[in-house]
Amino acid sequence: MNGTGSEEDPWSILRSLPRGREVEIETAGGARWRGTLVPPHELSGERTVQLKLANGYNVGIRISPQDRLTVFPPSPLLPNAKAVNPQRLPGESGEPGHVSLLTTGGTIASRVDYRTGGVRPVKEESEILAFYPSLEEGGPVRIRTVLDRLSEEIGPGDWVALAEAVAAEFRDGARGVVVAHGTDTLAYTASALAFTLGSLPGPVVLVGAQRSPDRPSSDGSSNLQAAVELARVGALGEVAVLMHAGLSDDRFSIHRATWVRKMHSSRRDAFRSRNGEPLGYVDGSGVHLAAGARAPSTGPPTVDTRLDLSAGLFWFHPGAAPHRAQLAAEGLRGLIIAGTGLGHLASGHLPWIRQAVERGTFVGMTTQCLEGQTDPYVYATGRELLRAGVTYLSDLLPEVAYVKLLFALGRAKTLDEVRAQLLTDWAGEFPGRHGVRELS
Amino acid sequence: MKAGLEVHQQLATGKLFCRCPAELTETVTGTVLRRLSPTGGETEAVDPAVAFEAARGLLFRYETTPSSCLVEMDEEPPRALDPAALEVALTVALLLHARPVDEIQVMRKIVIDGSNTSGFQRTTLVATDGWIEVRAKRFTIATVCLEEDAARKVGEGNGENRFRLDRLGVPLVEVATAPEISSAQEARELAEEIGLLLRATRRVRRGIGTIREDLNVSVPGGTRVEIKGVQELRLLPKYLESERERQEMLLSVRTTLLERGAKTPPDAPRDVTVSLKGSDEGALRELRRDGVALALLLPGFAGLLGSPAEKKERLGRELADYARSTGVKGLLHSDELPGHGIDASVVERLRRELGAAASDAFVVVVAPSREVGARALEAVRRRALLAFEGVPAETRDPLPDGRTRYSRPLPGRDRMYPETDVPPIPLRSEQLDALRRSLPELPAVMASRLAETHGLGPEVVRELLRLDEVTRFEALTRRGHAPSLVARVLTQDSDGARAIAPDATRDLTEQELDFLLGAVREGRFAKEGLAAVMARAMSGSESVEAALAGSGLTGLTRGELDGIVEKVLDRNARLIAEKGARAVSPLMGEVMREVRGRWDGKEVAAALGAGVSRRIAGKGQAES
Repeated sequence: MNGTGSEEDPWSILRSLPRGREVEIETAGGARWRGTLVPPHELSGERTVQLKLANGYNVGIRISPQDRLTVFPPSPLLPNAKAVNPQRLPGESGEPGHVSLLTTGGTIASRVDYRTGGVRPVKEESEILAFYPSLEEGGPVRIRTVLDRLSEEIGPGDWVALAEAVAAEFRDGARGVVVAHGTDTLAYTASALAFTLGSLPGPVVLVGAQRSPDRPSSDGSSNLQAAVELARVGALGEVAVLMHAGLSDDRFSIHRATWVRKMHSSRRDAFRSRNGEPLGYVDGSGVHLAAGARAPSTGPPTVDTRLDLSAGLFWFHPGAAPHRAQLAAEGLRGLIIAGTGLGHLASGHLPWIRQAVERGTFVGMTTQCLEGQTDPYVYATGRELLRAGVTYLSDLLPEVAYVKLLFALGRAKTLDEVRAQLLTDWAGEFPGRHGVRELS
Repeated sequence: MKAGLEVHQQLATGKLFCRCPAELTETVTGTVLRRLSPTGGETEAVDPAVAFEAARGLLFRYETTPSSCLVEMDEEPPRALDPAALEVALTVALLLHARPVDEIQVMRKIVIDGSNTSGFQRTTLVATDGWIEVRAKRFTIATVCLEEDAARKVGEGNGENRFRLDRLGVPLVEVATAPEISSAQEARELAEEIGLLLRATRRVRRGIGTIREDLNVSVPGGTRVEIKGVQELRLLPKYLESERERQEMLLSVRTTLLERGAKTPPDAPRDVTVSLKGSDEGALRELRRDGVALALLLPGFAGLLGSPAEKKERLGRELADYARSTGVKGLLHSDELPGHGIDASVVERLRRELGAAASDAFVVVVAPSREVGARALEAVRRRALLAFEGVPAETRDPLPDGRTRYSRPLPGRDRMYPETDVPPIPLRSEQLDALRRSLPELPAVMASRLAETHGLGPEVVRELLRLDEVTRFEALTRRGHAPSLVARVLTQDSDGARAIAPDATRDLTEQELDFLLGAVREGRFAKEGLAAVMARAMSGSESVEAALAGSGLTGLTRGELDGIVEKVLDRNARLIAEKGARAVSPLMGEVMREVRGRWDGKEVAAALGAGVSRRIAGKGQAES
């Protein structure tokens, strides 16, 4: 134990101490605070340390130069988590018919570090299995880490790596593949996999958690359980997203990758199919698939990851200046517009659009209504846009059209070829008909 | 004995982390089904209480109400901590001379029994190290915390617990004392004093369930045991007593086991279904429906489990509580056999089967399946092992009879971690100084002021404080009503009304009480009728005006009163002749039966007295 004299500011000592050290602070006013140093909150005030007291509470203490500080010798570190499945080595359960779980670095599970009071993600296979002990109830699950990135950092290059990893798992005998992914851009990745993978012999299921895994109420564990179930037994040969169907933890929707959208920033049932019903559900009685779901192919899976990133997405809004939009479209081989209503924008934008198409740039129209299809014939604006060379993309969601455009540009050279690719159904993205259903 | 007290008081502000009304309701708009999984810490540090709840594998059904929101459903991040609630908590801390922290960090306390949708309770330490004085003894206030209340449990069954969301998130101030209480009497007085101090802020909720106490108890050589959620203060001493008795019993069981050199129970239970078939009455009824009976030998435990005829705390009850916590209805043990449909010959057969010597005990569990039975006996075995150590650290539920029942292992600090969704809240000295300047009156100061200003006796003042009725008392006296009558309405008559109408659905407003007091002052009815009229208004949708009109207590004229008195005197002429002036008191009851609540008792007595005197005098005249 060492006390400090009055010559050194206790704040500078405290700042240099490692987390987990036990200290006592005696303030000029006579108050004593004894506890373990834990990381300060990012928004903590100036000269404020966070202490974990013996009763488990963290409190912030402002340090003044007159305070007396006592630093106790380091306490022995808590032992590390033990490997829970010592009988089998991680990644070795590749027997035929297994389910593969690919992780992308989102926090599929988190542990609380009680020494520091912080939360750290769980990444190792043995730790994930320790976290979800019932994951292998129905059969073996092979866990692979493909990416180590938060969802908002995942981009087109990662889609390519992921698509190849999924195909490799099927070639290794996987019955189905589950991809655990952060939810922010999960729908983009789902579309990308749908547009790059073909002849799928089993389900590819993207899954995530809306509520953080550091809370006991997280939806992550039941989502993952249901996704593994779908991958293990579902007669599905396409890419799907599985998330909560409602606020209860007992029913999960299976969404077609190209129809799904995150429609709420935090609710566990945020993911919704647009323009049609989900492909099916998983509940306590098993997997239920609708007639429209694609049956598995006999394989082997195909992968076509050619892409060209010179594409953009422009969200039209009242007041959008044509010259700025023109600048944004410069140098692009393709641009998706999220127009209003049936696919419109202000007529002041017609000149730059005309020029862009003349230069050979693909311009595709979608609707920012996010439900329903575009139609150029109903209003004069639409007809003029059509004459200017804009391609109307029916009911493709703006972001799905953008993802598809990247791969279409990779596969086609001329504007006509790009147009033809965009309008061809690659992965069931054009529902064909819109049944009468409740709008949600 | 050493005991500490935690007082939890609901605040009369909005909810702590969302902006929803904090009122309870009977309107349910839908239900949501949830599971909770333990977010374990480092493998070795899973909190025992968390592990216990996880092992139960329960489902939770939440009832939403018209005021439920996404924060309560744990579907969106919490809003900022309610500043009004923080102000009350800080006020309480300052009244208790406690030292506020510099920066408040909201913590998550993992609770996966379903009472919180998120799986944790948000709680903050606001201040530490205060004190309060009771009868010149100073008790340390260890901590003052501000936390959210749990959801209200409204039912259970079929592997599901059912909760309503209305109470979830209501702010609670928790005042925890150091373990310095040495008697049951002290516990009760300290709890009362803390309660008075909380109510002195005039910003706390009133009524059943709005204030709850936890007791931490240990006897020398024992362990800290927490009795959680005591709602009735009058039972506090009983809980303390029974807990002291229980811990002493456990310590003596430990001594006996060690003296006997008792061995640990075997790992595996034995299937005794065949031996018990045929004796399938009472507790063994399950056997008729393809149930199984499993038995566990407890070597050296004979005589320590206790027969149910003894009203004392015995180990058998502890074993049964552990078994029940896994889902079976209970168990039978050898100290209570023969009995329960098992005769002596069957007991002998069981002893042989289990290889039980005379000093050994055994327990039998009847369950729908082997798995369920084995789980129950594993819990019994775990508890039996703890008997060698003495008093296990437990959370216990208070029972209405003053005893307690095992609930779950005592949670530790391993279940606390920071709530990262809420930024830390700095406490500025200017803010604290402002609160210090406007602190409410302390209960003692308030009591002497009320007594002085209004001429009330100390008992009446204390009762007003205890019932948190000072605000309404002052408002109603300002309206010109007599202080003694106002005090009576708020204490004695309110109690009386609740006794008449125990299922009352509402309280009366200040305006309604004003009306009733006015009606008494105008002589429309007597103050003795207050409780009856209040009860009538409180138990239905009637206004106080309608309740008074419908009560039949108004409209008695002086002439009618005199008529009733005369009739009673006529009926009892002989009694008056025999007893003379002493006939007044037996006749009083007879008159009051007819005029109760319609005429002031004192005036009735005076009228009756005068009437009796007249009759005696009249008779004397006739005779002379």
